[in-house]
Amino acid sequence: MMAAIEVEHLHKTFRIPHEKRTTIFETLTGAFNPPIYENFHALKDINFTVEEGEALGIIGENGSGKSTLLKIIAKILHPTAGSITALKKLTPFLELGVGFQSDLTAAENIKIYATIMGMQKREIDNKLDDIIEFAGLEKFKDTKLKNFSSGMHVRLAFSTAIQTDPEILLMDEVLAVGDMEFQQKCLDVLSQYRKDGVTIVFVSHDLGAVRRFCDNTLLLNKGEQVVLGNTGEVIDRYVYGGKNEASEAANSSEIQNELEVAEIEVKSEDKNPRLGDKKIEITNVEFYDKFNNKGARFNAFDPMTVRIFYNAYKEIFNPVFGIALYSEKGENLFGTNTELKNASIDSLEGKGHIDLMIERIPMITGRFLLTVAVHTHDQKPYDWHDKRYSFDVIPTSRDVGLFEVPCNWKI
Amino acid sequence: MIFKHLKELYAYRNLIWQLAWSDFKLRYKNSMLGYFWSLLEPLLMLLVLYVVFSNLMKIKVEYYQLFLFVGIILWGFLSRATNSGMSSIVGKAGIIKKIYFPRDIFVISSCITALLMSIFESLVFVMFMVFYRVPVSINLAYAPFILLFLCIISLGLSLALSALNVFYRDVQFIWQVIMQAGFYLTPIIYTIDIFPKDLQRFVLLNPIARIIISARNTIIYSSPATMEDLLFMLLSSVVFLLVGYIIFFILEPRFAEEI
Repeated sequence: MMAAIEVEHLHKTFRIPHEKRTTIFETLTGAFNPPIYENFHALKDINFTVEEGEALGIIGENGSGKSTLLKIIAKILHPTAGSITALKKLTPFLELGVGFQSDLTAAENIKIYATIMGMQKREIDNKLDDIIEFAGLEKFKDTKLKNFSSGMHVRLAFSTAIQTDPEILLMDEVLAVGDMEFQQKCLDVLSQYRKDGVTIVFVSHDLGAVRRFCDNTLLLNKGEQVVLGNTGEVIDRYVYGGKNEASEAANSSEIQNELEVAEIEVKSEDKNPRLGDKKIEITNVEFYDKFNNKGARFNAFDPMTVRIFYNAYKEIFNPVFGIALYSEKGENLFGTNTELKNASIDSLEGKGHIDLMIERIPMITGRFLLTVAVHTHDQKPYDWHDKRYSFDVIPTSRDVGLFEVPCNWKI
Repeated sequence: MIFKHLKELYAYRNLIWQLAWSDFKLRYKNSMLGYFWSLLEPLLMLLVLYVVFSNLMKIKVEYYQLFLFVGIILWGFLSRATNSGMSSIVGKAGIIKKIYFPRDIFVISSCITALLMSIFESLVFVMFMVFYRVPVSINLAYAPFILLFLCIISLGLSLALSALNVFYRDVQFIWQVIMQAGFYLTPIIYTIDIFPKDLQRFVLLNPIARIIISARNTIIYSSPATMEDLLFMLLSSVVFLLVGYIIFFILEPRFAEEI
């Protein structure tokens, strides 16, 4: 296979002046007082190759340098060091409707936009009516763009953009705008391009879409290339902070430690009520992912373990541990306890922990709250932490709703 | 390298034209009347200057109204091309930050827009020529070359100004002052003969002065352009274009960040 894009030792540093000088006057008067610059390393030593026909996803937190990288590939920004070679024609979808002029008509804007996107004149003339029809704007062909709603605007831009015949498609969060129907349309086009063998570089926060479309994925964190590889593995690494490999390497990078402290700490919300006589105290609750790493972010449909730490100050007979799961809005989704699952405990004393093993998280996406409690056989609380714990579920499919219902279609 | 760039520009010829034409239409908001309004400014200027300088200042020049008109049209083109060229990069920030094509396309197309606008004035000028029954000769053949030199100089200036304007926003004001002074330092309303010989040589260092003088000679007065003038114009247009492109390409890599 041939490489379509080669990126070698790419660095990008932005020089951000403390005080920006925008006039000749300021530059002259400040000549003896050189400006102080802050260097911001947006990208550090990025290396990858995209094969022809491959779809590469780029994921990472906000500010990790995803968009900067895409702009450098698109030749909009110049790298500070390193090289980038694109061996085929690039078509960037960084924003829909680049160069739209509100004082021109729909047809005129299509002509300009299509030209900007690299289409030839004859092609545009041939496809003009198709584009307008696809956008559903036949009646408004000669209406000025300023009279269009934002939805019509996007439709016009989208139906023009997809008429291009890309060899390498660069796509940045285009899916983030628009309603579900529009997002679906975008994904349909994307999968068509994939079938046609177009090389795609796709930057997105939508991990479900990345998982579905990208063979390989590049994970960036604060401008550094964390990992590049098979999409499923990279997404796991992103969602779970990559501790499994990092802990093996003794000198694990600083970034991951920060991640752990900053985000993966289980949040306990003290404002919620805590009841009980505390003969047994719940001292902590931790969540573990499939790699046995502590975390508060989970892929949908992955396994998860809830570990409840307790301290029984004297011997307690027949205690019952329970949990209740709530949506962020506070709807009770599920509840169970040791008694209901026939895991009765005869007696407890001292410190210890008990695990609730969840084989498969059925929730699709969102933040979920957990009540954890230990109480007597007849529901008298020893310690009751009402909705004090929360975790996030990251979507891995494009199903909608709160829960996945196991199902199949049959015709 | 130059050849490669020219090839790239040729590949984008359609885009250059689309940008130029849409800007042109935008300027007149698609109205036919708009085109005529735009003629009002040079015609009014012509009238005022004609009345003042032919009566009060007693300038005696054959076809003074046409003499003036050539100067107004050519200077007007230079002023329009450089002013719109100067803001062509800053004004297109939305495109520059989102998609790449050779950035000089914006400057070239804005110069073409200015040219389109000047063509209207030229049509009125032709009507004047016919009305006053000005004889034309084979020497008119020089005119297209002279106008081409003007276009190249305007493009060179626009390239440099547009790039500098990204980094220094007061370039616009400085350029306005220079153009204002230039209007009076260039023989537009007067003939160069009003200066003593030594000073004339100094005035003729301004390539625009030579362009306007030679354009008048070949168009109105049926006389050929001198070899010295042609060479000077050719040389200066090459220098302007080259310097313009050098400044532009030095600053170009940082456009998307600085805009």
